[in-house]
Amino acid sequence: MSQIDKVKHTLILGLGNPLLGDEGIGVRVAEELDKLELPAGVTVLEGGTAGVNLINLMEGYQRVIIVDAADMGRVPGSVFRFTPSEARFKTAPTLLSPHQIGFGEVLALAEALELGPPEVVIIGVQPSRIESGTGLSSELKKTIPQIIRIIHDELDT
Amino acid sequence: MSKVNVNVNVHHLTRVEGHGDIVVDVKNGELVKCEWQVVEAPRFFEAMLRGRPYQEASHITSRICGICATGHATASLRATENALGVEISEQTEMLRKLVFHGEIIDSHVLHVYMLVAPDFLGVGSVLPLATSHPEIVMRALRIKQLAGDLCAMVSGRHTHPIAMTVGGFTHLPTLKELAAMRERLVAAREDMDETIALFKTLPWPAFERETEYVCLRKDDEYAFIDGRIVTTDGFTYELDDYRKVTNEFMVPYSTAKRAKHNRESYMVGALARFNNNYDQLHPRAKAAAEELGMKPICINPYLNSGAQAVEMVHCIEDSISIIDELLDRGIEEEPLYEFQGKGGEGVGACDVPRGILFHNYIIDDEGLIQGANCVIPTNQNHANIEDDMRALVPQIQERPQKEITLMLEMLVRAYDPCISCSTHLLNVEFV
Repeated sequence: MSQIDKVKHTLILGLGNPLLGDEGIGVRVAEELDKLELPAGVTVLEGGTAGVNLINLMEGYQRVIIVDAADMGRVPGSVFRFTPSEARFKTAPTLLSPHQIGFGEVLALAEALELGPPEVVIIGVQPSRIESGTGLSSELKKTIPQIIRIIHDELDT
Repeated sequence: MSKVNVNVNVHHLTRVEGHGDIVVDVKNGELVKCEWQVVEAPRFFEAMLRGRPYQEASHITSRICGICATGHATASLRATENALGVEISEQTEMLRKLVFHGEIIDSHVLHVYMLVAPDFLGVGSVLPLATSHPEIVMRALRIKQLAGDLCAMVSGRHTHPIAMTVGGFTHLPTLKELAAMRERLVAAREDMDETIALFKTLPWPAFERETEYVCLRKDDEYAFIDGRIVTTDGFTYELDDYRKVTNEFMVPYSTAKRAKHNRESYMVGALARFNNNYDQLHPRAKAAAEELGMKPICINPYLNSGAQAVEMVHCIEDSISIIDELLDRGIEEEPLYEFQGKGGEGVGACDVPRGILFHNYIIDDEGLIQGANCVIPTNQNHANIEDDMRALVPQIQERPQKEITLMLEMLVRAYDPCISCSTHLLNVEFV
């Protein structure tokens, strides 16, 4: 994996915190993608809980594919592909702490500054268990091949 | 007798786990309730470390906080190194300082620009600020980019410091990278000047309350990593005695632990470092403090954000000095530590962006962690936040409720608290 790719085209960002069970799905997917051979111009980054830093990390890419745990009100283990225009992110009404800045806020800020990548695709995964502990629930472990298939389909388009 | 009644009940729900609520009740001019309630699900980081090989500790704990990943990794490595008797080289010490400076700048710029500045510029939050003052937000992002690149150059990547390991680094920056970074740091002085000029104009609330300020101190430099624990009440402790300072306790309405030492509460963070270690700041940082009208001992908690701006200047300048020394002496590959089959106990301490952080490990002769304790800065500040609120409310209770609420929120924000950190689950509704 290279941090700075000469041919910046698509960035796949795996988000989340692997210390909180299923919250780490994006990071686990990024680790799996690292083992695969991906087309030229595709960069995989593990964004962890980088918050506002994601704006800088996304800069210059034509397309950003986000993989993250998302509470979408669906059955645990549901994987859903959507774009920001299809969703509304619930955000904190008043920020008391920079830790409250999540991807929803980051995307809104990037757009307000006209720094947002031209194309953003989100692959949301409904978690089963968000609690202290490393390792994914059995429901989410099963989703990894499906998520990787969806990413391959995205890259083919 | 005052007839004033105030009822502030601010629920700051964060995504999944925790929240910090401000609850204030004034009846007939008398403060009957004043609570800073922090409710967080227990994290069990200590349990997560138990039974793990010592090599994994810094990588696991760096995930505790997305903003202080390097701080946790460094405190973790120092605890492990002290437990195992590992000496680190001067080069490792310098590189760790460099990446640490990157994180301090990165965290402080996020806080002062994205959370504090919008209050003073009357826009409420960073999103409208991006529209009303895009040049300010762009400057913040520019500084963040520099800080992130400084971290990545030394620690291997932007988000979590993978190259930092027990005894040293698995990856080293090249002289060319260091020289290029030096140029960028020098160029950033302009952004620092603009930052201080901006913060100079902000109307800081004139609230003061004496308290005890606690941080690390070293003989020869403004301390972020290692040293001794000092307080403005005149106490000094070796790191191994950290529990004599933290004295953790609980209150019924809050699940986060609290700390107290010589008084009912104490403060950690940039202002505590500024107050104890002002003499060791870089001259440019001292000049910035003068611009902001700050002198030690400054007892206005809102000016913790001012101290953060001053520290950003210090970290830029000190990074330039460290790089100059590295360019002069060169970068050498160094052998990495090999386990000697003998465990032990060790404490590691770092003054991370939000204040003093302790990690304490017991490692057995197999190299497995048998016991771990972690005291985070935010928990040490909770009692002090509440004591500030208790002193502040009677001074402002005649003002409109909306203004009181904002003043209290700004007070909490000034501490840059780490509430529910590390959880960034998206919460989505489809349209």
